[in-house]
Amino acid sequence: MPSPPKPSQTSPSLPVVEAVELTKIYHRGREEVRALNAATFRIERGEFVAVVGPSGAGKSTLLNLLGCMDAPTSGTLRITGQEVQGLSDQQRTRLRREQIGFVFQHFGLMPTLTVAENIALPTLFARRRLAQRVDELLEQVALSHRRNHRPHELSGGEMQRVAIARALVNNPQMLLADEPTGNLDTATGDTIISLFQQLHQAGLTVVVVTHNTPLASATQRQLTLRDGRVD
Amino acid sequence: MNWISLSLKDWQRRPLRTGITLTGVAIAIAALWSLLSFQRGYQDGMQSELDRLGAHILVVPKGCPYDAASIALHGATWPCYLKQSYLKQVATTQGVATAAPAFMTAFYDATGAQNVYVGVDKSILALKRGWHIQGRFPQGRDELLVGSAVAERMKWHLGQQVNLPNVPGQGGQVSGILAPTQGADDSFIYMGLNDAQHLFKHPNELTHILVRLKDPDDLENTVAQLHGCSAGLEMNVVPLAHLFRTIQSLVNSTRLLLGCIALIALLVAGAGVSNAILMTVVERTREIGIMRALGASHSDIFRIFWLQTLQVCLVGGGIGVVVAFAASRTLEAWLRGRLPFAPTDTLIHWEWWIADVCLACSIILGSAAGLLPAWRAARLSPCEAMRASRGQM
Ligand SMILES: Nc1ncnc2c1ncn2[C@@H]1O[C@H](COP(=O)(O)OP(=O)(O)OP(=O)(O)O)[C@@H](O)[C@H]1O
Ligand SMILES: [Mg+2]
Repeated sequence: MPSPPKPSQTSPSLPVVEAVELTKIYHRGREEVRALNAATFRIERGEFVAVVGPSGAGKSTLLNLLGCMDAPTSGTLRITGQEVQGLSDQQRTRLRREQIGFVFQHFGLMPTLTVAENIALPTLFARRRLAQRVDELLEQVALSHRRNHRPHELSGGEMQRVAIARALVNNPQMLLADEPTGNLDTATGDTIISLFQQLHQAGLTVVVVTHNTPLASATQRQLTLRDGRVD
Repeated sequence: MNWISLSLKDWQRRPLRTGITLTGVAIAIAALWSLLSFQRGYQDGMQSELDRLGAHILVVPKGCPYDAASIALHGATWPCYLKQSYLKQVATTQGVATAAPAFMTAFYDATGAQNVYVGVDKSILALKRGWHIQGRFPQGRDELLVGSAVAERMKWHLGQQVNLPNVPGQGGQVSGILAPTQGADDSFIYMGLNDAQHLFKHPNELTHILVRLKDPDDLENTVAQLHGCSAGLEMNVVPLAHLFRTIQSLVNSTRLLLGCIALIALLVAGAGVSNAILMTVVERTREIGIMRALGASHSDIFRIFWLQTLQVCLVGGGIGVVVAFAASRTLEAWLRGRLPFAPTDTLIHWEWWIADVCLACSIILGSAAGLLPAWRAARLSPCEAMRASRGQM
């Protein structure tokens, strides 16, 4: 069983995400793209949420804002109680490093690093030494025997498990995943889905963006986006 | 895993590119090392050559003064001669402490080895203060003082009666063997001045006079006095310190050229490294976005690429120094064939400070070359970086 995240420093009663009139406008030349248009929603601690909607609806944009990868154009966004919209890049980096774990569709493993090194990479950025944690996580994703392999020696499902272990290494408050099963076949996707479910059951807040019906239906709640608006 | 190994591991991604970049840096640093070592070795070599000679002024027959000095220093047959009577005038010139007469001639034997005979009198000992003689200085007729290299090559020992190489029918007794001087004296055969003059059929003639001054700073004055004496028109007075300075400045002008080449090589290598790392940044844009998502800050990204540049330059510089040292004998042989005058000492040899300077230059080069790519990488916005060429990962 994946270990539950450490108890939060912030009050457990606060929602992990609180968005009010959240708007993100991109500029493509002179054209304005409202990727997110006054989206208002909450995600409670320990929830397992799927963000769904057609292509171009703003799902990735939303996930990037939740992960403090980008600043909203307007509106209010609180992550574990902390207002994000006014933060500097440095402050957002810090928040991301301490509270957020990211999983990507294309796994995003570093090809020159071994499995164990890939998992340990975020601890380098966080200036932590957590050798034991890496072993623990390897065991949890059932890849201890692969620890010294390179990503290209792994199957897609194994790579995504490594990526999930990497996202968990700094004990985040929330796991964000953009199409985590998008590059996997159905059977492999299912093992990833059940891994997310285990993490959720262990108390972690999990937000997945997906087109994949089995994954969406495995979640507790679906947040549907259409043209940048929450339905 | 740490920052250094994180950057190091990236080398394996593009081994060819890494290799080429390393080579560029290595060549530039090798040029720098060779230049510095040569400059140092040449200067030191000239200085010890002067010290070993023990003379401040060389008096030679009218002719090419540079050539004459080179002959006096390294040994050869002279094309022209001085009258012995000039010696007295030189010796009595104001400021002169010792005037040592010499008659020199040289032969090449079948193997190409050179046999240099030098006739001298005891006054030479006032100049050659570094000499250690096993046995004694030639006193009677046909006594020889031989350089250590000669003694070794001919397998001569003290007291031995020997035949003079290249002088058929003539012999002598080894009365003294010179301890190694590391200079040309090691390969000379010294004998009494009269013996040499008779043997080589130039009685009452000299090839050169070595002059030591009472006060080396009084050089100008003494040179003027020597020019002024009645034999002044028949002699060339070569102030050695000046001569060495002239040669040095000749070599310096070449050195300036070489220095410019080394500098250009360094700049080109720096641009090459910068360019290679910039390409890496472009290729790794998406990875940079991922690392930002995993919590890397601006300065973390900067550090990764800056360190990588530094590593390339430092390793390239290290290779350059080692290769330059390994090739130094070849380079030295090549240089000797082209220099107007080369001291007998090794021109290029290992000195730690030069290696340190080269590595410091590599570090400076790497730090500077890494700034642009590291800055480009660090200023990428995480989202933009993540969106870059998504299909390729
Ligand atoms: N950096 C950007 N610059 C300009 N426009 C952008 C940028 N990022 C996203 N957009 C636009 O914003 C809109 C929402 O994009 P987003 O990537 O969030 O959609 P999505 O729901 O994730 O779509 P998909 O399911 O195809 O991944 C799209 O119209 C997209 O073109
Ligand atoms: Mg998307």
